[in-house]
Amino acid sequence: MYEVLMFDGGVYRINELFELVEDIGGFVIQKTQIQVMISITIAIPAEDRPAIEAKTRELGGKLIEVPLAGTEIAVVGPTLGRHHMPHPICDIAEHLRRYGAITVVMGLARGKGRQTAQITADEQAFIEEYDAAVFVLGNFKDCIMKEKIRLFEHIEIPVTVVCGPEITGLPNCEALVCGIGRKVERMRHAEEIAKLEETAQAVQDIVAVKKMEIDEDPLYVHPAEVKQRIENLEPVKQSLRPAPIVLHLNGLRVKVPFEETRELLSGVDVFGRRLGDISIISPSRLGGSTMIRILTKSQVASKDAKAAPPIGPKAEA
Amino acid sequence: MNITVEGSEEYGNSIYGELFDRILIDLGLANRIEDVKMIIEPEKPLFLISVRMRQARTAVKVSDICSITPREGNTYMVINNESYAPALLALLWKQFGRDRIEQLTRLEVLTHGIPPEKLQDLTLDPGEELKKEVLDAIWRLLPEGFKTRHNLYSEKVMTIASTEHDMKPEFVKLAESVHQEMVAGRDLSGMETKVEDEEEEDEGGEP
Repeated sequence: MYEVLMFDGGVYRINELFELVEDIGGFVIQKTQIQVMISITIAIPAEDRPAIEAKTRELGGKLIEVPLAGTEIAVVGPTLGRHHMPHPICDIAEHLRRYGAITVVMGLARGKGRQTAQITADEQAFIEEYDAAVFVLGNFKDCIMKEKIRLFEHIEIPVTVVCGPEITGLPNCEALVCGIGRKVERMRHAEEIAKLEETAQAVQDIVAVKKMEIDEDPLYVHPAEVKQRIENLEPVKQSLRPAPIVLHLNGLRVKVPFEETRELLSGVDVFGRRLGDISIISPSRLGGSTMIRILTKSQVASKDAKAAPPIGPKAEA
Repeated sequence: MNITVEGSEEYGNSIYGELFDRILIDLGLANRIEDVKMIIEPEKPLFLISVRMRQARTAVKVSDICSITPREGNTYMVINNESYAPALLALLWKQFGRDRIEQLTRLEVLTHGIPPEKLQDLTLDPGEELKKEVLDAIWRLLPEGFKTRHNLYSEKVMTIASTEHDMKPEFVKLAESVHQEMVAGRDLSGMETKVEDEEEEDEGGEP
């Protein structure tokens, strides 16, 4: 299983770290150099972490845990009205970013109220493009347990629910964090920060489970390897949007229009295979973006078997 | 200020009391509200809030808050009390239009083609302003989905009952009885609110 870490240090002899990462079969996810300082997000096989730690000590840098790096998480509120925004939704999103996640804040069109609260199929499909979702709900147990659970009932990605009252269990979600309800000010007190930590931990746990599930039938290539191959394409380089390539646990979001770039992306060479053959490339609900879902090794093998000409006596006949 | 919240869920009640207190502090209204009563029954669903305001400043004449001097067919005004400036400007704009009102500096206003006699007797009523601000605070608190509302107003008390679908007669009756109770004024001497308790504790805890 891959582990994502951030190296923070100087540029002196940094090539030795790059070579080590390559030797142990890891990838560089992101590299940010500011004059003589550099921070590098790397994905490495978990069992080789001691080697990276030793090299980091040798180079005088430090390693920072970013357990959510390489994930994109949606933080969802019932609406975008001031009753729900910016606190605590933005506080939670900001806290998840500290653990390396890319977060997106969204409000539902008709998520307010009790019986009238609803989620559209379009919103659901939009949320399902992310690795995990955090639903931020209110202060009344009756309202959450009877009505609001419908909002995430059919969401297929892991869901963490954050709400005010103490609830022992809630259906349709993978994690539940109680004690954060509606707020009109920033979460800056010690006990509120502890709750943000609890939320981040809950998200990390469900992401870890999802990673383990992926490891049972590994992806044909790690998304970071695909990123390395497509980041130099002209349309990607020209994209002015922040983070033109966002890593997901099982693919990537590339912020270039699907129709204009599908052929170019499909033709990218990955270990001698076309990217289009080892992944599903589709338009993203987020306008002007393309989703790349990488197939697992078994899916690629099964696809190859179907495509190969039949062998044996029947074929010869 | 006293805030009382009644309802079926203890946690939600305490949070809504704190929320409204926070909203009033943010809007600078904490010392202009005397008493607040909320009844929150999410299972019905009903959200009722009644607010009793303190006495607003009395209405003042424009001639009492600024010096008025005629100047070549126009009128030159210097505001003496800055706290009235926004309300005065708003009143002048509303009465005479923005084109005829020129704000020379922070406290100086030149009105074009308006004789001083027309300005001297105008009055400012800060009570209306206070009501608007309190209403804004209530909008911020009311659950967003509770769109069906029944409002009751009197000089110092504002009561709003809100629900999601039908406004039932029992909700209206309850709103009326709470409104009457607040108009008559509750005996606050024996009441100690959570918010006040916390403030006292904070003060006591300071070195």
